[in-house]
Amino acid sequence: MSVAIPCGWCGPRPFTEFAFGGEWREVDALDADADFERVYLPDNAEGVQREQWFHAMGCRTWTTVERDTRTNEAS
Amino acid sequence: MAELRIEEPSVVAVLASSEVCERLEASGNGTLLRVAPREILIVGGADPTVEGATLAEDVSDAWSSLVLEGPDAPDAFARLSELELPAEGWVQGDVAHAAAKVIVEPGRITILVPAMLAAHVEERIRTDAAEVLAR
Amino acid sequence: MGAFEFEGRSVSFEPGDTLAAALYRHGVRTFSRSLKYHRRRGLYCGTGDCPNCLMTVDGQPAVRTCTTASEDGMRVERSGGWPSAERDLLRVTDSLHRVMPVGFYYKTFIKPRFAWPLAERVIRRATGLGALPDTTAATRKVVRHEHVETLVIGGGIAGLAAAERAAADGSVLVCDEGRLGRGIAPGASLDRVRTLVDAVGGLDAVTVLEEHTALGIYEGLHVPVAADRELVHVHPARIVVATGATESHGIFPGNDLPGVMLGRAAAGLAGVHAVRPGERAVVVAHTDEGLEHLRTLLEAGVRVVAAALPEALADRLPGGDIGEVVLDGDVHEARGGGSLRSVVLRRGDRAKRFDCDLLVLSLGLSPRDGLARMVLPSEPVTVVGDAAAAAEPGPCDRDGVVCLCEDVSTHDLAQAWEEGFRNAEILKRYTTTTMGPCQGAMCGAALSCFAASRSPQVLEEHGTPRTTARPPAPRTTARPPARPTTLETLAAGVHEIVDKRTSLHEVHVEAGARLDRSGGWLRPFAYGDWREEYRAVRERVSPMDVGTLGKFTIAGPDANELVERLFPCRTADLGRGRTRYVLVLDEAGYVMDDGLLARVGDDEWYLTTTSGGAGRTDARLRQFADRLELDAHVLDRTAQWGAINVAGPHARDLIAGLTDDPIDADALPYPGFADVSVAGVPCRAIRTGFVGELAFELHHPRRRGPDLWASILDAGRAWDALPHGLDALELLRLEKGHVYLGQDTMPDDTPAKLGMSWAVDMSKPWFVGKRALERMQALPVSRRLVGLEFAGGPDRVAELRGEPLVLGDAVVGRITSAERSPTLGASIGLGWVRAADGAFPDRFETVPGATASVVPTPFYDADGGRMRG
Repeated sequence: MSVAIPCGWCGPRPFTEFAFGGEWREVDALDADADFERVYLPDNAEGVQREQWFHAMGCRTWTTVERDTRTNEAS
Repeated sequence: MAELRIEEPSVVAVLASSEVCERLEASGNGTLLRVAPREILIVGGADPTVEGATLAEDVSDAWSSLVLEGPDAPDAFARLSELELPAEGWVQGDVAHAAAKVIVEPGRITILVPAMLAAHVEERIRTDAAEVLAR
Repeated sequence: MGAFEFEGRSVSFEPGDTLAAALYRHGVRTFSRSLKYHRRRGLYCGTGDCPNCLMTVDGQPAVRTCTTASEDGMRVERSGGWPSAERDLLRVTDSLHRVMPVGFYYKTFIKPRFAWPLAERVIRRATGLGALPDTTAATRKVVRHEHVETLVIGGGIAGLAAAERAAADGSVLVCDEGRLGRGIAPGASLDRVRTLVDAVGGLDAVTVLEEHTALGIYEGLHVPVAADRELVHVHPARIVVATGATESHGIFPGNDLPGVMLGRAAAGLAGVHAVRPGERAVVVAHTDEGLEHLRTLLEAGVRVVAAALPEALADRLPGGDIGEVVLDGDVHEARGGGSLRSVVLRRGDRAKRFDCDLLVLSLGLSPRDGLARMVLPSEPVTVVGDAAAAAEPGPCDRDGVVCLCEDVSTHDLAQAWEEGFRNAEILKRYTTTTMGPCQGAMCGAALSCFAASRSPQVLEEHGTPRTTARPPAPRTTARPPARPTTLETLAAGVHEIVDKRTSLHEVHVEAGARLDRSGGWLRPFAYGDWREEYRAVRERVSPMDVGTLGKFTIAGPDANELVERLFPCRTADLGRGRTRYVLVLDEAGYVMDDGLLARVGDDEWYLTTTSGGAGRTDARLRQFADRLELDAHVLDRTAQWGAINVAGPHARDLIAGLTDDPIDADALPYPGFADVSVAGVPCRAIRTGFVGELAFELHHPRRRGPDLWASILDAGRAWDALPHGLDALELLRLEKGHVYLGQDTMPDDTPAKLGMSWAVDMSKPWFVGKRALERMQALPVSRRLVGLEFAGGPDRVAELRGEPLVLGDAVVGRITSAERSPTLGASIGLGWVRAADGAFPDRFETVPGATASVVPTPFYDADGGRMRG
C-alpha cells in the first residue's frame, strides 16, 4: 500500500484514509505567550516526530504516531 | 461473474465503555462489528437493548448495503478499493471514497456504506466492474 | 499482412512488423527531427528507449514506433519539421547553433518587455513532439488494486528467472512494458527467454501482465502499472527490478546521423523483421552481445566493411565475410550530410576512413535503473540482471550529441560549465539534459560522467578532466513517472467527485430542480424561478431540503463537560428543550464552523453543523473527548436523519394541520425544539432563524423523508406553497445578515472580526481557543465583516461578489456577497474591510460607477420579531 499510518485500532492503513492533526501538542499552555508557541511553532523535526492522526475513513479514532519525516516509517 | 444487490440492512449502534463492548463481542447475535474501542455495530436483526451502554439504538436508516455475490466478487471489489480483504471476516476503510465496513463471507462481499453515499458507490461499481457484473 | 497510411502514402506491412520496421522496409530513413535544432534523426535504439522514432499515430503524439505493432488502417505521421519532417526549413536553426546556445532563452529577448512573449510563441511553435489531439475524448481507464507477495518489473531473462524462484514464497506478478521475447533476434537469448516463459506459464502462483508499464516505485510499497485500458495499483510485499539495460549511447562527432544505430536496432531489423538495415556496415562490438548482433547481420547478408572489437574478444569473432578487423579500435567520427556516408575508426594515433551507410554500435551496457534509483535503502527491493550492472558509458569528453531528446551536445555542457553550472543536478536543470522522453536512459550516465570528470577532486589529481579510471559518478535523482504518461492515466481514479445525496434526491429530480454541487452534496438550487420561491418564503410558506446538515448526538457521563469545553459560549445553563447558536473555534481562535446546540437530556445533547463542516467538527469532538479524558460518546446522525426546513409566516399553520402535538409559541418557543410527530413521521422540530421568518426545521428518519415532504407540499397547497433551494436561500439569509462560512469568512477570522463576540463568553475558565483569543484581545481588530448597501453598478447585483472595495487608490476590502432585495427595495451585501489609520472607513467605491456604504445588519427582521413568532 502507499505510505502506511498505524491506526491504533485498525492497524497499518494507507495515509489517504486519515486526516492529519499536526504535531502532538499539549491541550493547553500556561499563558498566552506559551500558547502562541504551542499552536504556531511546531518543532518540524527532520527525523522522528510525534503526530496525531485521525482515521477518518475507518474507525474515526485518534492515534498518536511516531513518524520519521525522512523515510515515512511510522509506528 | 458477480451480481450486485442493494439492500437496506438492519443495524444497531452501541456506544459503551470498552468493558461493555468487550462483553458484547463475546456474546453474539447477528454480525457484530467492533468498529472502535467503544463502538459496536450489530448488523442483522438485533435487540437494541444493551445493559450498561450509554446508547444503543436502531440506526438502520444511516446505512445501505451493496452486496456482491459470485466468484468474481473479489475482482469487482478490487476496482473500488485498496483494502486487502480477508478470506472471511470484516474490515473497514475507504471504498470508492466512502467510509465503509466490508463483511466477507464465502461467495459474498457485503459493503456497508453511509446511506448518502450509496448512490455514488453503486454507480462506481456498475461503471468500473461492468465487465464482471452480470446484466 | 496489411497496410497503414503514412503521410498520405500507403505502407504495407508483414505480420509481426513494428511500425518502424515497416517504415524502414518502405525506405523511410528520417524518423523525426530533433527538438531544437531540427537535425535529422533515424532509427537508433530499437528498444523503445531513445526518442528518435517517436511519431504521431492515429492522432496520438509521441508514440514509439519501434515497439508499436503495425495495425491495418493506422494513420502515421512524423511530427516536427516545417513544412514537413522530410523537407524542414527550420533546420536553419542548426546552423544558428552558435547564436542559440544552450539556455539562450534565459538570456535573450528580455528587453524590450514585449519581445519575450512574442519570441516564446515562435520558439514553442518551432519545437516540440507534435500537437495534442483536440478531437479525441479521454477514455475512462479502469482502476484496480492487486495485492501480491512479489512484483517483478521486467519479463526478460533475469525477471522471469526471479519470478520462477519467487513463486515458492507466494503470489508473483510480472509486468513488462512489451510482449515477452519481442524484438529479440533468433539466437541463444531468445531461446532462453522462451524456455523461461514456458516454465513460468505453468506456475499457478505467477501472473504475467504484458504491455503493462510500471510508472514508478512509491513509498509503501506501491507501484502503479499502466496499460492501454487500465491502471493497476500493485501493492507488493517485495519488488524485484529486472528492467535490463540499453546498449550504451556513443558520443562522438556525427553520432546522431541517420544510419548510426545501436546493435539491437540493427539486429532486430535484420533478424526479426528480415529488413536489411544497410548495405555497407561498420560494426563496433565491445561486448559478447555485440558479436551476436554481428553474426545476425552477416547472416542477413549485410556487407560488413569493418569490424572493431577488443583484442580479448578476437577469438569469438563470427565467421563470415568481414572487410577489415580493427582490434582495440574506436569510432573517431561519423560523417555525412543528412545521413551517414563514412566512419573514421581510430586505434591509438592511427585512423582510417570507411565508406558506409550503417554504423552499428554495441559499446557496453547502460542499466535501465531509473526505477531502482527511486527506492530508499530500507525498502525490500532487489535489482537483478543487467539492471544491476555498473554503467559502462563511453568517454564523455568527445564532442557529440549527449541528450538526443533535448538536443544537448557536449559543447553545450562545456559552455554551461563555463557559465558556472558545476554539478550534475544543476547542469541537468540548466541544459534540460535527461529531461526528455528517455528520462536519462540514454544520456544520464554521460551527464554524470561529464560532471564527475571536471570535479575539483579530479582536476586536482590530474590537472585536466579525466574520463577514464574514475569511480562511478553519482546519478541525478530519479523521479516518477519512469516513462512518459498521458494525463488520462494519471487522472484515472483520482480526485473523484463524490456527491452525497439526501433521501429526497429523486423527488427533486422529478420536480425538475436544477441540481449542483455544494459542500460535497448534490443539492437543488432552484425548481423554477428562484425569485418566486423566495417570495413564497417571505409571504406564505415554503419547505427546503436541509438534510445535508451535520447532525450529532453527544451523550455520556462527561458529555456536559465536553460541550462546555469545546464551545466558546456558556452551555451549562441551557435547559432541556432549548437551543443556542454556537461557534466552533480552532486552537488559534479562528472560526471553523458554526451550528446549533440543543439540550436533549441531563447529559445528552444534539448538535447540528454546516453541511461542509460536519466531518471536521465530529473529528474535533472526538479529539477533545480523548485528550481531556472525558467519558462522552458521539453518534453521527448525518446519514441517519434527514431534515426539512418549513419557513414562512404560515409555517406553524401548515405544520399544525399535520400534527396533534402542541407547537404553539409556548410549547415550542424560540429558541427551542420539541420531539413531535408530523404526518405520522417522528420529528425533532427545531425553531430556526436562518432566513428571518417563522421556521421549523424537521429532523426525521431518513427513509421517511419522501413521505414527509409529500405531506408538507400537499398541505401547503392551501397557501400556494413552493419548495425553495439554494438560490433563494442565498438572498433570504443575506437579508437576515447571516454569514456563509467560506464565502463571507476567511480562514483567520476570529469571532471579533465577524462581529460575533456575543457568541463568546471570556469569563469561562477554559474553552478551545480561549488563550488565543486572550492574546489577540490585546491587538487592535485589523479587519471586520460589515453589511453593505450599494448604489449604481451592474443590473445583476450578484456580479459585485468578489469585487474590491476601494478608497482613493487603495483596495481596503472586498465584497463577499451581493444581491438585489425586492423586499427592501435595495441592493445589499456583505464584505470585509481593513482598518485604515486605526479606523474603519464606511464609504467606498467599487466597480466603476458604483459605490458602497456600511449599514447595520440584519437588513431584514432586525428585531427578530418574525423569526420569534
